[in-house]
Amino acid sequence: MKKKKHAGVERLKSRYGLLFVAPFIVGLLLFFVFPLLSSVQYMFSNISFEPGNTVITWTGLENIKYVLFEDPYFINNVVKGFSTFAYSFPLILVVSLVMALILVQKFRGRILFRGISFMTVIIASGVVIEYVLRYQGSDITGAGVETSIMEDMIDVESILTVLGLPTQISGYFQVVLNSIMTVIWNSGIQTLLFISGLQAIPDQMYEVSKVEGATKWEEFWFVTFPMLSKILVLVSAFTVVELFTAKTDRVVSSAYTMMQSQNYHESTAMLWIYFLIVGVVIALLYIPFHKFCLKRWE
Amino acid sequence: MIASFRKKSVNRVTKRTRPVLYSLFRLIILLAISYVIVYPLLYMISSSLKTASAFQDPSVLWIPKIFTDENFKVAFEAMDFKNAMLSTLGFEMVSALLETATCAVTAYGLARFNFPGKKLLMVMLVLLIMVPPQMIIIPMTINFSQLDFLGILKLTGGLFGKELRPNILDTAACFYLPSLFSVGLRSGILIFIYHQFFHGLPKELEEAAWIDGSAPPRTFLQIALPSSSVAIITVLVLSVVWHWNDYYLAVMYTSEKFPLAVSLASLPQRLSLIGIWPGDIRNTLGVMAGCVMFVVPILIVYLFLQRKFIKSIDRVGITG
Repeated sequence: MKKKKHAGVERLKSRYGLLFVAPFIVGLLLFFVFPLLSSVQYMFSNISFEPGNTVITWTGLENIKYVLFEDPYFINNVVKGFSTFAYSFPLILVVSLVMALILVQKFRGRILFRGISFMTVIIASGVVIEYVLRYQGSDITGAGVETSIMEDMIDVESILTVLGLPTQISGYFQVVLNSIMTVIWNSGIQTLLFISGLQAIPDQMYEVSKVEGATKWEEFWFVTFPMLSKILVLVSAFTVVELFTAKTDRVVSSAYTMMQSQNYHESTAMLWIYFLIVGVVIALLYIPFHKFCLKRWE
Repeated sequence: MIASFRKKSVNRVTKRTRPVLYSLFRLIILLAISYVIVYPLLYMISSSLKTASAFQDPSVLWIPKIFTDENFKVAFEAMDFKNAMLSTLGFEMVSALLETATCAVTAYGLARFNFPGKKLLMVMLVLLIMVPPQMIIIPMTINFSQLDFLGILKLTGGLFGKELRPNILDTAACFYLPSLFSVGLRSGILIFIYHQFFHGLPKELEEAAWIDGSAPPRTFLQIALPSSSVAIITVLVLSVVWHWNDYYLAVMYTSEKFPLAVSLASLPQRLSLIGIWPGDIRNTLGVMAGCVMFVVPILIVYLFLQRKFIKSIDRVGITG
């Protein structure tokens, strides 16, 4: 008798739970699952528009063949995307972790520096940063030159001259500095997530490690880092999605150009192929991390 | 033991200077990063106030001798600022508020209750975070151009002889609908933040409310929500900021009533329509002024919420 009543309460609660997530389920079906499925369909079809109707005809592997073998830029753009990823990803993680570790400490001016570093969250995801970082300056003749603001900020050539190095290599430094700048501007959300994760680590852990006589370095590697492992996965996932879908990514931007001329099928195929490649690469990177790091820390 | 021994062996001077050196090091890193962040903003503001000749004059560094509002006037006209602002407020900001509300409901359901299919929903949530919005933007656009829910509206064509499939592109509905069902712009990560917070919130109070006969919807509104201002502020700020900057969805969903982000993205071309070609310095300066006009409203909002936001980040407790 008692057990039955208990089961009734559980059922009632689970019904309330379903009530809470019901809109989400509907939304997922309408605005996520079905669009995703139809985009799979578009990949193998040709889309044309008639007044009041969309005509979708099956064309098999046409679009995929076009993207892989006929599009002259696709392979190049994929390589570009991955090379940006290769240096940005580790740098963003390191920069945001260092920022977070500094900003959780208590010191004078902390609020000010936090405010400044969170400002990137507000501006970086937008159109503005593209203008500010890339589209700058013009030479004295008045012809617009695409230079970066970085050149304005740090005079690389004069530094090299002072150090006695040949000025020819200033180009490389420019590229490196430019990347650093982009990385700092893109690590706002990550810093924020890390700070939130760091605050959630219980103080007892640090007290114990102090009692055990751990150095600061050991404390970081054996307490902070393992405790952050899960948030590290979250931040990595977020960073991967951000990097490969940024407005500056060439595959995505060329797909968008195609979309705006209503070339829906080929751009869909292009995006699918791209993100499938990305997915496979990320999975290959994640498996060893999971096996050797996460498992061991647990 | 070892550490204390080590500490004793270090001589007194280094013992005292080490923390100083460390804070100096910290200050240098912070200043360097702040420089990288603040410089472009100041540059943007300073050049938007310059005339074309002052911009080229090497003797004018930061503060121009004559301030000009010419660039702002030009950008204001080219961006169609008033209407763009209205669409940003009407479409994007309302959608952000809706999203903040509905994501809380979904996350509460996921964090507090057990029901069949919950695991599947969590997997879908991860997918929602991971799948780039670009993947579904095309089907969404096509669907919105001939609105249909799983073929139901198409049936009306058979019943009444005339199809009831409105084109809702370029209206507020295509921004509101996904947000109403908590699958809007980056809803996945917002639900996740809420979920983490509710997960860490003590359950006892809500259980007491259940025993006292309060149904979960009421418990949610009267007990859970009032104690989760931290999560609400975090999500609200993120959602507002992301919607304000949203370009990808807006550029596909709108054809005339462009929000600010879209009209800013095409500002160089728009300026050339009123006779200021790319390559002309006035074009660059106009773009700078446009950027300032775009950033300032959201910066003001941020400055008001900043202290609360920073504190919220400390306490929202995302553990992954």
